[in-house]
Amino acid sequence: MKNSDIQRIGKGRYSLDVRGQVCPYPELLTLRALQNLSPEDTLEIILDNPPSVKDIPIAIEKRGYKKPEVMRVDKGTWKIIVQNPK
Amino acid sequence: MIKLDVDDMNRFIGRYSLGRDSNPLNPTGSPHFLRIKIPGGFIDSSQLRSVADLTKTYSRGQAEITNRQDIQLHWIDATDALEIFSVMDELGFTTDMCGQGFSGARYGDARNIVCCPVSGLEKDELLNGTSLLKELSDFFIGNPDFQDMPRKFKFSITGCGYDCTRAITNDLSFVAVKKNDDVGFTLLIGGSMGASLPGPRLATPTGVFVQTEDAFNVAVATIEIHRDYGSRESKAKARFKWLLHNWGLKKFLSTLEEKVGKHLELYNGPVFLRDGGHERIQPQSQEGYYYVNVPCIGGYISCDEMISLADLADKYGNGDLRLTPSQNLIIPNVEQKDLLLKDLKKIGISIQGSKLRWNSMGCASEFCGKTTTPHAKEISKEIVYHLERHIDNELLNAAGFRIYVSGCHNNCCANLIAEIGLAGNLTRENGVMKQYYSILLGGGFGKKPSMGRRIEENIPTDKLKLMIESLLSNYFEKRKTSESLKEFCNKSTIKELKLYLNSKGG
Ligand code: SF4
Repeated sequence: MKNSDIQRIGKGRYSLDVRGQVCPYPELLTLRALQNLSPEDTLEIILDNPPSVKDIPIAIEKRGYKKPEVMRVDKGTWKIIVQNPK
Repeated sequence: MIKLDVDDMNRFIGRYSLGRDSNPLNPTGSPHFLRIKIPGGFIDSSQLRSVADLTKTYSRGQAEITNRQDIQLHWIDATDALEIFSVMDELGFTTDMCGQGFSGARYGDARNIVCCPVSGLEKDELLNGTSLLKELSDFFIGNPDFQDMPRKFKFSITGCGYDCTRAITNDLSFVAVKKNDDVGFTLLIGGSMGASLPGPRLATPTGVFVQTEDAFNVAVATIEIHRDYGSRESKAKARFKWLLHNWGLKKFLSTLEEKVGKHLELYNGPVFLRDGGHERIQPQSQEGYYYVNVPCIGGYISCDEMISLADLADKYGNGDLRLTPSQNLIIPNVEQKDLLLKDLKKIGISIQGSKLRWNSMGCASEFCGKTTTPHAKEISKEIVYHLERHIDNELLNAAGFRIYVSGCHNNCCANLIAEIGLAGNLTRENGVMKQYYSILLGGGFGKKPSMGRRIEENIPTDKLKLMIESLLSNYFEKRKTSESLKEFCNKSTIKELKLYLNSKGG
């Protein structure tokens, strides 16, 4: 799979690019990426699949994470920002 | 950089995906659907039992047969997907790629290829299309060259002389025809019922004759034309019909000939030879054998029904089953048909009733969230049972009509080409969403395809069956001998049809 690496973009801040992936992969990749990060690390997920823009926050909240921030980057791209709990 | 271990996902990417059900209005709570592609609807008893197992474990014991011969499961959680995909991989099935969630004109794939469900069985079959079906289906599975087309592409193949695949609604249809002593295919192109530009279109007959050995190359060249020349400007312009609308038939055919490196022969004979379908029990071309078409109005099928039907296919047939483009299921290769009918009766399935049981469909509106109750499948069932209770079944059969119900104007259930088509719309009234339907009359497909005309709008769901009954009693009273319902509707004015819908005969 292309785009399956988590890039470090700052101290305790990482980015995961799942553009081009259809459901369920953006959600599964996000959950797996969060398991690979340390407590309190922040993950920015970049995605272009609108169904996942809705599904990922629900899946994350269901697992006890704080409600993630969802931002529209451009017409067809979004960014979801989520922080691993302590 | 942290490398994620994604080997378990890599196995499935490009071949499996889930669609999204959870729309704000969806009352079911289903997060995703899984649309299992069953090319041509060909499935055997052990595969059907495994799908039944998946249904039991992940989909609350309920599935639906779609009008493209897939089996669709709902209530699928993303976190169960890899487990489900593994089972499907063992069964040899894949899914639609569901790229239509993306906002741009991208990630279109080739949808499940629809094929005559009684290929190789029908008595007067011209050509068995299953080798083309298999060759094409295998070619597209996981093929990265065809997963980012402007939008989806739909093929159909039929060789029985009927339009049992609704060829006129597909982007490219292969229809077997006879030219002198040769049997090959003629092509229909650019059909689509959806609202995208230039609006709903019946596929255009191309007037060409394709030898069977060239059919695969013609199919691939056509989908390449869609991929390479289709508009990516917007989703609305991205279906193949828009390209064809702009190019015209002549340019399309010359591009196709250039790509396949062959001049295509002309064909000016009939496209379809017969009207009708493959309802009830029919003798096969194999002496002494029958196929039994089990009606599942609206395509609902439970886990228990799947298991029972798989067992009966083993007991009375050779274990093969076929899903039909009219959302039913066929048990072929049956010798002892009367015993099978008795066993079907024991599990609550009857082959009695009017042909409407085989010819009525409803979309999956309860899951896509564009309607409120009652939903399209329930409505089609209710109308069929109501008509059967109030009108003699032989009369209903002679009228020769279908009822297709779509929950909204997206026409997923091809309501535009049914003799009686219903299309839903939601309206907010005093803060409450209310469900209404439009009634379209006079559509049809087969020898003389046509689109229905919208006769009534904003009809509450509980009135539909009464209005259709009223139309039919007027039709039975006023028709000319042997005039079909479609002919009757198409010769009547909108004003007359409104009257017929709103007054019982007399
Ligand atoms: S016709 Fe409308 S309600 Fe029915 S499945 Fe399609 S989009 Fe949903």
